Amino acid sequence: MASVTLENVIKRYGDLQAVHGVDLEIRDGEFMVLVGPSGCGKSTTLRMIAGLEAISEGTCRIGDRVVNDVPPQRRNIAMVFQNYALYPHKSVRENIVFGLKRAKTEPAEIHKRLAEAARMLRLEPYLDRKPAALSGGQRQRVAMGRAIVRDADVFLFDEPLSNLDAKLRHDMRTEIRRIHKNYGTTSIYVTHDQVEAMTLADRVVVMRDGWIEQVGRPMDIYLHPANLFTATFIGAPSMNILDGTLDADGVHLGSHTLPVPPAKQAVAAAALEAGGGRARPIKIGIRPDFFEDCAFATMGPNSVRLDGLRVEIVEPLGFDREITFHIGESSAMARLDLRSDIAEDSTIDLCVDLERVHFFDPDSGKNLELVA
Amino acid sequence: MKPQTVLERAENRFGWQLVAPSLGVIGLLILYPILYNVYLSFFDVQLVGDNVFVGLENYQRLLTDSAFYDSLTTTAIYLLGTVAGTTLLGLGAALLLNQDFPGRNVVRGLILLPYFAPVISVVFGWQFIFDPVNGVYNYMVVEVFNLTDERMNVIRDPDLGVIVVIVFDIWKHFPIAYLLILSKLQSINTDLYEAAAIDGHGPWGRFWHVTLPELYFVLGTIVILRFIWNLNKFEEVFLLAPNVQTLPIFTYYTAFTGVIDQGLAASVSVIQFVLLCGLIWFYVKKVLKW
Repeated sequence: MASVTLENVIKRYGDLQAVHGVDLEIRDGEFMVLVGPSGCGKSTTLRMIAGLEAISEGTCRIGDRVVNDVPPQRRNIAMVFQNYALYPHKSVRENIVFGLKRAKTEPAEIHKRLAEAARMLRLEPYLDRKPAALSGGQRQRVAMGRAIVRDADVFLFDEPLSNLDAKLRHDMRTEIRRIHKNYGTTSIYVTHDQVEAMTLADRVVVMRDGWIEQVGRPMDIYLHPANLFTATFIGAPSMNILDGTLDADGVHLGSHTLPVPPAKQAVAAAALEAGGGRARPIKIGIRPDFFEDCAFATMGPNSVRLDGLRVEIVEPLGFDREITFHIGESSAMARLDLRSDIAEDSTIDLCVDLERVHFFDPDSGKNLELVA
Repeated sequence: MKPQTVLERAENRFGWQLVAPSLGVIGLLILYPILYNVYLSFFDVQLVGDNVFVGLENYQRLLTDSAFYDSLTTTAIYLLGTVAGTTLLGLGAALLLNQDFPGRNVVRGLILLPYFAPVISVVFGWQFIFDPVNGVYNYMVVEVFNLTDERMNVIRDPDLGVIVVIVFDIWKHFPIAYLLILSKLQSINTDLYEAAAIDGHGPWGRFWHVTLPELYFVLGTIVILRFIWNLNKFEEVFLLAPNVQTLPIFTYYTAFTGVIDQGLAASVSVIQFVLLCGLIWFYVKKVLKW
């Protein structure tokens, strides 16, 4: 096992810069997830750690060793590929032990590790089959098996679940979590699915356009997004971003006024002062999950009511129901539970805890709570 | 299964109508000559007058004829040399031209030229190269490198001629091997190479464990195609080095030159045909495992 350190790592393809100076430390035994939309540089970053892409500038260390010029076969890493990359002419057994044989592991040890991996991944009945005779989920487990039998310093996962259907994806997520619990190997996992990021990670790196937007524990990112991008990218359904105005009385959202909570007053005052005390536009972020139907809400000291909101769409999902409503000029979504049995085109009163409301600078997109 | 409904029967009939013309042509141009050839091999064929049935006598004469065994040996050398040579050279060229380098597309096109060139014109070119008096080969060997003192007529010598014929065939036909191998190389998933690198293999290990297994069937197909083509190959050998007697050339000389004996020639053809069928059967069952 080992830590992985990236210092100002840059990737260029000709004139195009794909990754701009990534600084990142992945601790020994940590499960780190790189998440972001397509083309954000997360896979490129992973492939630079694997040695499959050359590093244009900066330093990559595995443990204490600088690996920039070390080819992949000498980095002692294991990797799970999106398309499994199983050797089609080798049986499941041969696929799994291929790397071990290369490393000249004792046959008894190979046998032991194969048996353990096969049991853990429930592959025992398939060991003599060729990959073509396996289902997608089974292939994915073989790819996983190939990684875990190796005594690798780091496990790398490149969108390993994106070719599976929703149910399998959920099962394999649990499987990966279990593997990490058992082996405790430093893991770096790339995905575009924020649910995988939230559920698997010790820490998450949110990337966009080759930049790191935020690094933190999943719940910290969920509760305290650094900017508009992470706020809307992490969490499903996505955070409502509403246009409001900030002045000395508080934040105005249509006909509603939200007082600035004590924790954010200093930042709000500074923001106003910078604009010469004039009212200024502001982005208000509220997660659909944090709206409550006032009829059932427990009001805290920081709770505010938004009365008489017009309900446009109601989508019942079983226990939850998602409603789309109008507030000010914007439309927003709230996730309520089945107690709120409301009809479309009626009105509703929603309550929200101000501690859960975020204010973003409309120009920089930064979360004002974190600016101070 | 017997077609049940009217529609199925009609479709069946239509199918037979569609393949009937091809069946007719194949029967006329391929099956009939083969059968007629087998028939002739049991006769002392008279150019004028009636053929005389001789039973297995033609075969008995062949099996005691040392010229026939010489021809078999020459054919074996020719086949092994050309099949191995074209396959290996094709593989090497394909691996090289699968790498990225400036001007690759031009080279990829140029390398096909020998394959396109008409046999008759390149054969004369090659004969000129090996000409004892004016050829560049003898000039290089004798004058420039002083390897021997004596100018040789390499092409006319049956033992050396077979080597020239083999080299000529490799040069002329490796592009087809190269083409087939390259197209397969391009379809190999790069993930596999990356996975093998991660599993600890350098370039040689990746070639051995990823490239070769992926190429197995293409290489197998090339080998069997080359075997079939070259066992029957006539014009290149005959035009370039008429003293190199592979089976088709031997058959030709027996049938149409000197003491013309078409019955004997027919029995050589039959043996060659049986040999070819046996080879193909063995190869398909044991190597390709179809």
